[in-house]
Amino acid sequence: MARFVLSRLLKAVLTIWIAITATFFLLRLLPGDPTTLMVEGDMTPEMQAALLRTYGLDRPLWEQYVSYLRELFQGNFGISFRQIQPVTDILLDRLPWTLLLAGTAFLVTIAVGIPIGVYAAVHRGRWADRVLQALGIGGHALFVPSVAMLLLVYLGARLGWFPIGGAIDPDTRGAAANLSLAHHLVLPVLSLVLVQLGPYALTLRTNMIEVLGEDYIRAARARGLSASRRVWKHGLRNAILPALTLMGLQLGTLVGGAVLTETVFAYPGVGRLIYEAVGQRDYPVLQGAFIMLAVTVVIANSLTDLLYAVLNPRIRL
Amino acid sequence: MEPRSREREVGTVSAPVLTEQTAPVVSAARPVWRDYLRQPSAWLSVTVLGLMVLLAVGAPLIAVEPGGTGPDVLQPPSGRHWFGTDDLGQDIFAQVVWGTRTSLVIGVAASLIALVLGTAIGLLSAYFRPVDAVGTVITDVMLALPTLPLMIMLAAVVNPSVWTLTVIIGVFAWPEVARLIRSQGLVVTAMPYIDGARVLGATAWRIVTREILPAVISLMVVSVLLTASRAVISEAGLSFLGLGDPDAWSWGRILLNAQRSGVVAIAWWQTLFPSLAILVLVLAATVAGMRFNDIRDPRRNGG
Repeated sequence: MARFVLSRLLKAVLTIWIAITATFFLLRLLPGDPTTLMVEGDMTPEMQAALLRTYGLDRPLWEQYVSYLRELFQGNFGISFRQIQPVTDILLDRLPWTLLLAGTAFLVTIAVGIPIGVYAAVHRGRWADRVLQALGIGGHALFVPSVAMLLLVYLGARLGWFPIGGAIDPDTRGAAANLSLAHHLVLPVLSLVLVQLGPYALTLRTNMIEVLGEDYIRAARARGLSASRRVWKHGLRNAILPALTLMGLQLGTLVGGAVLTETVFAYPGVGRLIYEAVGQRDYPVLQGAFIMLAVTVVIANSLTDLLYAVLNPRIRL
Repeated sequence: MEPRSREREVGTVSAPVLTEQTAPVVSAARPVWRDYLRQPSAWLSVTVLGLMVLLAVGAPLIAVEPGGTGPDVLQPPSGRHWFGTDDLGQDIFAQVVWGTRTSLVIGVAASLIALVLGTAIGLLSAYFRPVDAVGTVITDVMLALPTLPLMIMLAAVVNPSVWTLTVIIGVFAWPEVARLIRSQGLVVTAMPYIDGARVLGATAWRIVTREILPAVISLMVVSVLLTASRAVISEAGLSFLGLGDPDAWSWGRILLNAQRSGVVAIAWWQTLFPSLAILVLVLAATVAGMRFNDIRDPRRNGG
């Protein structure tokens, strides 16, 4: 067990290190002087040189890289260009909202996707299965802002069932606040779930059909186990494992979708922050947001892998 | 020796060898296309893709390039403005038609970049063990990272234009191609005819380009279609966040305009039509790719 956890941890650290290093060098290799990114308008060469010295940008690249890594390690993401405030503070302010949104969408997709996938696998070739196959392919073609705007217009603006923006009503307290939180969460989560659900359930169905053809399922049948017990108890456990890995791999896409959904619904997470930072060309915020989201995805991915190891009867930790 | 190894390859891998010039293999490749277009969903999606290309090429003939302001502000769809107008009085139909150009150019060009990079890395990984160790780690890392925030960060620094967006999207789309090509390449590398070529003294370069590459070409066709459909979505996403080419119309930009001018709840036509355009193009490319994949590997047809 310790060995598995350790190797998984190493892989996570390696991924994050590569992400940070690639970011650092890509941004410096791209055309454009950092000072032109920082300040608008004309600057005298002396002012530019002074600015470069202040930020340590006149030192050799590798020295800058080492100090950049040291600062990041201490949780320092730099200072925002526009809001004179540490990027770390801004990000930590926004991150919980994105975690809530993406985490809820992740769990809802799994919770709804599993029964749909199993039902389609058991009723293979019937109409429900055909509908799922169409939706599974169609899901790849859905553009998150399109779905989000559709929900916003019909369920939000026209019918007025759900709020069309924000994350919480600031006037509410206690239980009412929680209720308001959940109420604001519905449409952003639904946009993400609708995009992810079809392809996810379709993969689960394919896994399930494969598992149901295995010898041990036939053996269970020979032992006289009921159909529902065979499917839900023996089959599902083995079909869920690859589906879990798949969902873990989808986390990057899920976070990308969250950036777009948050933009449509003015949801105060990291995604909306990215949209605002793009408008203001606030590079330290964009860089920090990417690294923060990358770290989040890698940690969540490692947790999924650990869960896989715990659930898989073939792996004895 | 050459023709014999080809025969084996066609027999065992069941990959259509499109580069072959001798008569028997060409006739073996032809029914693949015929079978492919016999599927209704396949020819339908190929037709849709063809129409989209015509729309993109003929955009100046179909609609005047949108710009400036017009008298008809926020009009719903009518005979005069098929898809309605936006808050500046510009025709949405013209915007969607001109946006087709950007989406198609970026989709095709970015997926070609991803195809070249992904095929090179995938084939080298499949044939050379030491490359595989590094290649797999890099591919896994790239697949694990949230690509959209990464592309946003880079697109914000460079001056956004159709070409910089193409490069950014293409450079981050190769890992999926590399993974597909590598897994197929590993199967081919393990085949006896590769050992045969090696015994005959063929160089590694010759084996990779002449023996393994032809066996993965059909898979490359599939991945170019699937990658292009993802590239279209990526471009729409970047444009929607304000990182599109300011001089080119794009479906994502139409949605951004609706969002910025706050008319999402009123002007349904401004969000519906570009959304449908994205849906139709991406769906057509995805279905075309998936159907080609079915025909490529006959073993999958039963399942």
